[in-house]
Amino acid sequence: MPSTSPALTPGLSSFLKSLKSNPIDTSIENLISLLKRRQICHSRSCATATAYLLRSVVSLCRTSESSKLIERVQSVGRRLMAAQPREMVVGNIVRRVLGLIRDEAEDDRDAEFALSESESQPQTPRAFDDASLPLDRDSLALGAERSTRPPLTSMFSLLSHPEPEASLPSTPGSQSPGGHYSGNNFTKDLRAEVLEGINEIIDELGQVDEQISNYALEHIHSNEIILTHTSSTTVQKFLLRAATKRKFTVVHAESYPNNHEVTHATVSGTRPDDDELLSFESFQKPLIAHGITVILIPDSAVFALMSRVNKVILGTHSVLANGGLVAAAGTRVIARAAKVHQTPVVVVSGVYKLSPVYPFDFDSLIEYGDASKVLPYEDGDLVEKIDVQNPLYDYVPAELVDLYITNLGGHAPSYLYRIVSDHYRKEDISF
Amino acid sequence: MATTTESTPKAGAKPFDIVATYNELLRSDPDLTMPIAAIEALVLLLTHSPSSTISETLDLLAQSTAHLKKAIPNPIGLSAGTDLFQRYLITTLQRPGQLGPAGDFKAIRTHLLSNGRLFIRRAKESREKIVAFGRGFIRDGCTVLTNGGSRAVASLLQKAADEEGGPSAVRFRVIYVLSSISKKTAEACGEPEGMETVRALRAKGVPVSTIPESAVAYALGKADMVIVGAEGVVENGGIVSRMGTYQIGLLAKAIGKPFYCVAESHKFVRLYPLGQYDLPIEQHVIDFKSEEDIAEQSQQPVDTGVDRPVELESVDFTPPHLISALITDSGVLTPSAVSEELIKIWF
Repeated sequence: MPSTSPALTPGLSSFLKSLKSNPIDTSIENLISLLKRRQICHSRSCATATAYLLRSVVSLCRTSESSKLIERVQSVGRRLMAAQPREMVVGNIVRRVLGLIRDEAEDDRDAEFALSESESQPQTPRAFDDASLPLDRDSLALGAERSTRPPLTSMFSLLSHPEPEASLPSTPGSQSPGGHYSGNNFTKDLRAEVLEGINEIIDELGQVDEQISNYALEHIHSNEIILTHTSSTTVQKFLLRAATKRKFTVVHAESYPNNHEVTHATVSGTRPDDDELLSFESFQKPLIAHGITVILIPDSAVFALMSRVNKVILGTHSVLANGGLVAAAGTRVIARAAKVHQTPVVVVSGVYKLSPVYPFDFDSLIEYGDASKVLPYEDGDLVEKIDVQNPLYDYVPAELVDLYITNLGGHAPSYLYRIVSDHYRKEDISF
Repeated sequence: MATTTESTPKAGAKPFDIVATYNELLRSDPDLTMPIAAIEALVLLLTHSPSSTISETLDLLAQSTAHLKKAIPNPIGLSAGTDLFQRYLITTLQRPGQLGPAGDFKAIRTHLLSNGRLFIRRAKESREKIVAFGRGFIRDGCTVLTNGGSRAVASLLQKAADEEGGPSAVRFRVIYVLSSISKKTAEACGEPEGMETVRALRAKGVPVSTIPESAVAYALGKADMVIVGAEGVVENGGIVSRMGTYQIGLLAKAIGKPFYCVAESHKFVRLYPLGQYDLPIEQHVIDFKSEEDIAEQSQQPVDTGVDRPVELESVDFTPPHLISALITDSGVLTPSAVSEELIKIWF
């Protein structure tokens, strides 16, 4: 949400400023109300706010056990998620922090594994190999023995030795560190490592667009015609990176009525200094300054122009575990039109937008916005007679997307489940 | 477990017959799936054989598995169980630790022999897990189209119905596709497969409509989703299921309805069928005949009854691109996740 006076408007930067001075409970309340009032609404702003808040929560949580820490993060996380359930990145960040704590707690229990595994981009598929469902206790209990055993697959859980089940601890976290450690030393290390992990998540959020744009030259070729939609910074940076080396044409759909003003500004390069985005990196020169032809079109012209387009590049609000995505309204029309013309659809998205939630009910994911953007309240007579709806998002099924480009590289939609399982622990998916 | 004690003395008298044991297990417990019955049969086999070395045991298992597969007309489901058992033994033996090569072979033997009922219990528990994962799919006001006699689907639907009146009440309707009664089933119970589930659901207050297979395309417009069971889930994420599932999948895709498959992860089987006729079983579904052939056949009237003993059991293959998601006990998976699960146990 653009604002001309960042000092007065509550938003991400004011929240981050106040985080240091306010007591933690005030900060939590503050973020909840910001989320509820939609004063923080970009995916990345929400993710950043959540990560910073959780960092404060963890650093202020004076507890001696990992289970207490998990509990605390869970309770804060639940409140944040309840404040704005459609902002799925909040839940994603909470889950990743929970996963960090669990990893660290388990690492500390394996005495020989002093190596920090708090990488923000875990490449090892350990979370998946555990396959520890909330109900599947035996594989959880095996955590301590894992270093000596090959990964236990969930398929073997049927036959595996029942011993661990008999002596199962209630949760992996509740197991005390044991006699090898003095309690004090243990917590200090655990918290420090978790905080380091959260810092890495925050770094990742800052760098994600840069990392994604590194793949731009592989996907955008000379003289191509690219169609895009909305003023997504990820997409813009992706295109800008390609523009440094190649000449191509961009067809930009304006995404009326929710995002058209920002989109116009992005295209013309007169984008106002945006409070939310300023805090990451002020927006650079527009595409036209690099000599790229940008054609701004109304959304209704998408189908007509699609036959000339070589590639569709879309930003997104969040990506779901089945490979579908929730993106700005109008995305599905574009994706569908691209399908009809057999034009490849590429979605650029940071891994932090990838949610482990399975979309059981697509309708519940769609948020409805200000109806006055469609029909201004000045037309009072009309407003009374008709029902105006302004959906902010579209659900795009996985089969309409050809490729996802995340900060980890390009993935087919059917492969996303794997990235989900690399980043989130199964026991955290529905906490 | 009643089955274990029943079959032990009988098999003790004469040489152990794995095929008879397998059939007996399946008959005695209607809740038992084919892979689990196969695992149970192998466990019982080990009980009866005095083998004490690893290679002897593996050899015995391989022989008996081959024998069992040959004797059963459709071994896809059971091969999932036998493969899983064999892989489990090999992986456990290669693993360092108490049960590993350095350890006592007897330990793993005793573990397997003493835990027959545990495996069955876990297999049934995995259905509970599936229910926990699948609950979210059945929402208020939705209509589910299903077919066949899958126990996993039945337990999912019944569980959702049970919660009616509770805090998370689901009011849903079911369209049940019943296959036409073949001669063989008519003799057995006089009703098509799945009637039991239909009755149970109706008793729980779920409105159920039963339709013939020919009405699937007509009825799909009223359904919100299709949920089917599976006999085996193959490597590419496709499913081998009751005859008629493939056409429902095709229709659901054409009409744009989600098509979910409910299956326990022990049904994942290492097969890669390229099409309908690439399954490792012989089915006499398509049987071309001329007048001459019929006349010839009528001269041996004894044969006609036994002509198609597997008609009820016939299966088809639903390719992965028709399946929206697999609801398994290790979560809701995309079809491509199946290969990874299989790779993890085989390599």
